[in-house]
Amino acid sequence: MLSGRTSRWLGAAVGLVYLFLHLPLLILVAFSFNASRFSVDWTGFTLEWYRRLLERPDILHGLRNSLIVGGAATVIATVCGTLFALALGRHRFRGRRTLESLLYVPLVTPEIVVGISLLAFFAALGVALGLATIVIAHVAFSISFVAVVVRARLMGMDRSLEEAALTLGADEVTTFWRVTLPQLLPGVVAGGLLAFTLSFDDYVITSFVAGSGSSTLPVVIYGMVRRTVEPSINAISTIVLVVTTILIYAADRLSRGGAAR
Amino acid sequence: MTSDHPLLEALCAGTLPRREFVRRALAAGVGGGALASLLAACGPAERGDETIPAELERNLTIYNWADYIGEDTVAGFERETGVRVVYDTYESNEDLIAKLQAGARGYDLIVPSDYAVRVLRALDMLAPIDRTLLGHWGHLAPGFVDRPFDPGNRFTVPYLWGVAGLAYRSDRVPAPDSWAVFHDPTWRGKMTQLDDMREVIGGWLLYRGRSPNSRVPAELADAKTDALRAKRNLKSYLSSPVKTQLIAGDVWIAHLWNGDTAQARMEHPAIAFAVPREGGMIYLDSMAVPRTAPHKRAAHAFMDYVLRPDVAATIADRTGYGSPNADALALQQRPVRMDDTEALDRLQYQDDLGEATALWDRIWTEIKAG
Amino acid sequence: MAGGRPLLRRLARWADRPATLLAPAGGWLVVFFLVPLLIMAAYSVMPRGTYGGVETGFTLEHYRRFFDPLYLDILRRTVVLSAVCTALCLVLGYPVAYLIARSGRWKNLLLVLVIVPFWTSFLVRTFAMIFLLRDTGLVNAVLLRLGLISEPLILLYTPFAVVTGLVYTFLPFMILPIYASLERMDGSLLEAGALLGAGPVARFRRITLPLSMPGVVAGCLLVFIPALGSFIPSDLLGGAKQMLIGNLVQNQFTAARNWPFGSAASLVVMAAVLVGVVAYLRSRDRAPGGGV
Repeated sequence: MLSGRTSRWLGAAVGLVYLFLHLPLLILVAFSFNASRFSVDWTGFTLEWYRRLLERPDILHGLRNSLIVGGAATVIATVCGTLFALALGRHRFRGRRTLESLLYVPLVTPEIVVGISLLAFFAALGVALGLATIVIAHVAFSISFVAVVVRARLMGMDRSLEEAALTLGADEVTTFWRVTLPQLLPGVVAGGLLAFTLSFDDYVITSFVAGSGSSTLPVVIYGMVRRTVEPSINAISTIVLVVTTILIYAADRLSRGGAAR
Repeated sequence: MTSDHPLLEALCAGTLPRREFVRRALAAGVGGGALASLLAACGPAERGDETIPAELERNLTIYNWADYIGEDTVAGFERETGVRVVYDTYESNEDLIAKLQAGARGYDLIVPSDYAVRVLRALDMLAPIDRTLLGHWGHLAPGFVDRPFDPGNRFTVPYLWGVAGLAYRSDRVPAPDSWAVFHDPTWRGKMTQLDDMREVIGGWLLYRGRSPNSRVPAELADAKTDALRAKRNLKSYLSSPVKTQLIAGDVWIAHLWNGDTAQARMEHPAIAFAVPREGGMIYLDSMAVPRTAPHKRAAHAFMDYVLRPDVAATIADRTGYGSPNADALALQQRPVRMDDTEALDRLQYQDDLGEATALWDRIWTEIKAG
Repeated sequence: MAGGRPLLRRLARWADRPATLLAPAGGWLVVFFLVPLLIMAAYSVMPRGTYGGVETGFTLEHYRRFFDPLYLDILRRTVVLSAVCTALCLVLGYPVAYLIARSGRWKNLLLVLVIVPFWTSFLVRTFAMIFLLRDTGLVNAVLLRLGLISEPLILLYTPFAVVTGLVYTFLPFMILPIYASLERMDGSLLEAGALLGAGPVARFRRITLPLSMPGVVAGCLLVFIPALGSFIPSDLLGGAKQMLIGNLVQNQFTAARNWPFGSAASLVVMAAVLVGVVAYLRSRDRAPGGGV
């Protein structure tokens, strides 16, 4: 394939890129345990900054809001997105192309446009901003992701099992429940995890449609980043990193593991 | 084809929008635009309930400047009254007004500056205050009451007053005494200005002896030139977050308010404050209750709590700003008095810009984009 | 089979109709995505009130105002910055995608190592950059300690920091689509090329590269579009000294309270994005190897 020398250079170059991607985050995590507040000199290992996070009501409040919004938005987006994917994947109907396009528009719209258009929408209708408006916004941009992931899974699914079940005498309900859904489930769960991650991490759209007392964790973190550079931010960043990594790793395993079956 | 990485499919699966979609979208846009205009025109004119309930509510949402309250003020209020407080912060008057205008309806108490009060009153967004619920009103010094932006204090309760000037590291730079310090390339990359349109343009207007509320295009053009000249030497535009950078030594000269400077000085003694000889901005911040506030009585309870001399004293000590509460001054450890600032005659109040806001906004965009 | 089945089956059949399946998501997208965009379009042609807000009426002044050199310059600068970021991502990302596609056993591990930063919070990654590039940050500390510099380098609050931050954020968006299209490539084509006497460079240039084009273009779009609308990097990493189109729009919807002008500016940007997407479609219709 590639000559030995070329592949070694390639390997080195790619290694550097990987380092670029990961090193800053690892450093961030490492310094969340540094006792020194302002400088990067290592003055000792401490969990002080994590402890301080627990004392901050705004962080706990933000975390609570993020979980509420994330949970609600994930459930709604996953259900809607899965149904949409099923429609696109299994049926032929008029206007199918247009609807497919409708699905993809959120993916190519800059976040700031989504945020401000929803702000204008809520303002024009006199809807008070709050947790509900955040959920609505998050569902609006997550549906497309869920639908695309589920659709991909659907396209890769083996229909022959379903056909076999139907031939053997099972009705549509049984077939769906016991053959289709289990096969589809990894994709649905992967889509759901993605939707949750998107919601949990979102700052831009949330900043426009959040109301009083409904700050989510990213909004609180943004405020912290703007105001001060101290290890508490490293600590909260580390927590967010770990949670996200776990979720995404799970989503990845689930979506891949199912395919092998 | 079976994909073993559906996550990737999420990025590049299937078909993307087709051209017909583009055409249809444009058509829908034009048609829908007309429809939506109708919708938007029948905008909301929602009024909050004007009457103040007889019973104290269980919750209160406060929207205040960042770092603008005592350490224990909110907790103390919660302990005494049993009211649960949610505390949000903002960094400029413009942010406050924008948020309220955008439909954030849950705020019970806000703290606008003098000119912002004028704007909010013009927008009819403030609820009248019931003075009978404020037993501690009498502690306020007469000089801060009945100001032009709210005659008779129908809508506001004075909170803190402050000055914008130059904060600096006395161990790194000699005391600056003029706005021109920002034009000095010696301190290039070590200086910041406030990320605030009124403060920056106002400061440069003062530099040339003009009013910081000027609406004259030629004067504003000069201010823009000065600001752009300064920008070359600036590290960044930063408001109260610059405190940690002063303490850490990343910044040596900062355009900052006196109270935030005092807060920084508590962590690093070599931080000092100076008012430029050409003049600086003075302002009075007041507590107010939005019309749409859902918990008006609790808001009044909090305002009355803050009017107590001991509470006002801790707030002023913690924030480093001047208290309009005459009886609090005697209780303070680090009082800031009106007569201490012999710079008083060099200080000017900010006023509402009215129609000239658009011109100022354009100048600020030019400064930021230049 | 239970007796209640027929009802359940009727229900299932109703549920399996396209209309029912599409309704929730479709309805949500129409009401909470399209309609807001239309309302924004409406606002863009209405006059602004003195203190913000809108008044009834029709005016094209906001669009006229946007086509002023000041704002077009901001747009131009944003496009250039996004293009630079996209190009850098391409240069850095293509080799990575290429290597992963050819790495056999390690493929999944390498992929996960790209996917994880891809989904990590944008704010966290921007903060990581701030932490590294400050005057008292790690990069300067290391350089000072090694004696390579005597005074801290000004890295943060510069265009360099903004570009670095953008590339850092969007690099995975470029790697993954390119990998996807490289992976689908039929290896036998390369074998055929080798049999016909083409050397490795020629094989890459004439087989691999063209076939990976759909992925390259998808990656470029996935980087360029969000970069165009971003405002946080220039705010946090640029020291609020640079105004990009995202900052301008965000400012109009917050401090400046000029929603009509902000809407007009957004729609112009959206139109520019649509042009890009249409261009992508036309290139795809002509690209060899068909769909991605």
